[in-house]
Amino acid sequence: MYTLAAAMSVSTEHYDCESCGAGLVVSDVQRSLVCPYCASPSVIHREPEKDRPSPDFVIPFVIEDKTASEKVKAFLRSKYFAPSSLKEAKLDNIRGIYLPSYLYTACADSEYRAEIGEEYLDEEKYQARDQNGKFVTKTRTVVRTEWYTLKGRHSMYLKDIVVSASAGLPNHELEAVEPFDLRFIRRYAPAIISGWIAEEASLSKAESKSSAHEESMAEIGTTLNRFLPGDKHRNLSYSTDLRSETVALCLLPLWVFAVRYHPKKPPLRLIVNGQTGEAGGHVPTSWVKVLILLSVLIGIGLLAYFWSTQ
Amino acid sequence: MNQQRCEQCFSEIEAEDLRCVICGVVTPETEKPPRPAIEVLRCDNCGAAVSYDVKHAAPRCGFCGSTTKLEEISDPLEQTEKYLSLDVTTEDARQAFKTWLGGKGFFAPSDLLEQTKLEKIHPLWWTGWVFDAKAQVSWTADSNANARESDWAPHSGQVSYNFDNVLISASRGLSDAEVQTLAPHYRLEAIQSKEELPNDAIIEQFETQRSAARSKIIHNIQTMAEARVHQDEVPGSRVRNLHVHCCLEALSTERIAFPVYILAYRYREELYRVVLHGQKRDVIAGRMPISWAKVLLVASLLLLGLGILGYWLSLQ
Repeated sequence: MYTLAAAMSVSTEHYDCESCGAGLVVSDVQRSLVCPYCASPSVIHREPEKDRPSPDFVIPFVIEDKTASEKVKAFLRSKYFAPSSLKEAKLDNIRGIYLPSYLYTACADSEYRAEIGEEYLDEEKYQARDQNGKFVTKTRTVVRTEWYTLKGRHSMYLKDIVVSASAGLPNHELEAVEPFDLRFIRRYAPAIISGWIAEEASLSKAESKSSAHEESMAEIGTTLNRFLPGDKHRNLSYSTDLRSETVALCLLPLWVFAVRYHPKKPPLRLIVNGQTGEAGGHVPTSWVKVLILLSVLIGIGLLAYFWSTQ
Repeated sequence: MNQQRCEQCFSEIEAEDLRCVICGVVTPETEKPPRPAIEVLRCDNCGAAVSYDVKHAAPRCGFCGSTTKLEEISDPLEQTEKYLSLDVTTEDARQAFKTWLGGKGFFAPSDLLEQTKLEKIHPLWWTGWVFDAKAQVSWTADSNANARESDWAPHSGQVSYNFDNVLISASRGLSDAEVQTLAPHYRLEAIQSKEELPNDAIIEQFETQRSAARSKIIHNIQTMAEARVHQDEVPGSRVRNLHVHCCLEALSTERIAFPVYILAYRYREELYRVVLHGQKRDVIAGRMPISWAKVLLVASLLLLGLGILGYWLSLQ
């Protein structure tokens, strides 16, 4: 099951359903709910607080639940060593969730240093036997590399760093289904989340910043690796000053599946990007399958050895 | 016009932008409607509660099926904001054309002036973007400077560039060569607002959406920065693997209409087109007939000369 802000102490609030007047008990991390008596979808508005900002943006769902289920099945099929019980498990617990995330921007000024390899052709003498079996000296052309140390400065904007703002779904799980296409981002409007599960940010901006910095440094590294000249390079190191940082809260569409594949094990959580259909999640390995494969391989090896000695 | 600007990089932002297109910073929301603590969103049609429907990509009522419109992601066509005045009169343009035709040199047919008939002459305004920007440019490249065994050695640098009043054509009617001839001679300081344009003026429309226009401008800045770095920054005479990253600031763009005369003339049944600057009468770009008889004559004389030279050399 997807637990709302599992790690947090959750308090509750009381509201009356606007449609039927029934009393509703709502946890303070929920942003939307469906009245259990009249099925009316409601959206809750809270005044922003320091650790709980109001959403700035939302990316609406594009993928339907049926498509999301197919994506998860295809994802599980591609995992050869997943337990068979998991591949055959029924996908009946599907929920569409708007996950709070922080959209981080910054200016990154980096100082880098790397060794740049420039190739050139050189002639090399070597000894070889001729037709009569005598040693003779021959020459051949070889590619050599000379290394230069290059230092420099590089500036760029980081625009599209997205990290989870939910204690219920850690950032590395979200990374598995990224990226989201931020061109289709919309200003937050309650109508977009009406009827869906939406959560308040349960991690503060400060708590999410380390994840944002990690992703930023990785992006800068990728950029610098493509930026360097030469035929090849090695030992790239860089230090970066991140300035003018901004953080906005964005609700991301996720299909969340809780798959029960073993009576004694907790259900497995798989997620699908509700905009692009990318599926992800940590799939357990069936050691029985690994063992069978290993024994088959060893068997083939033994047979081959046996035949070769005959 | 009082254009809104990004708080961080000071680039212009449009009212519909959610984030700055250059640095990604969130634009401030203009007005936030007060909201109740808990709200059921209702169908405008029947009053039942609505929820967001994926298939229709909009909030949809489960009872009557009607959908509620959301604020659209806006990507409008570019519109001309300002224009430059037409300072050359039709009579001046006619005269300038005749002078141009007369001064076309040796290869023009001898009867060009007598046989040419001016079919059409009319002013129009073609459109383009004029932008200003600052760029922090980081670059790396290999060049032959300081090279040892290999032909190449690596270089790097960082430099600030200003781009002031750079013109990019949005015209589909004018060729790139024609624009290159005309563009440097417009007086951008004499920009007027659109309302003052003559009533019968023909203005070419922008046929580009905002997002495509921005990509085009950013692409142009990138190309210009690469050319400048190649020419001014990288040491040595041969360059390869040039990498240029621009970090833009204070990008602002104006959508401007530029006056030009389009002339069509006929010489011996064939139609030729000429464009004449609307602010400086002696700037003209166009095609003109060539006397093939003269070309042939010169070519044969040249060949003859070469032949004689060759013969003379062989005798030495």
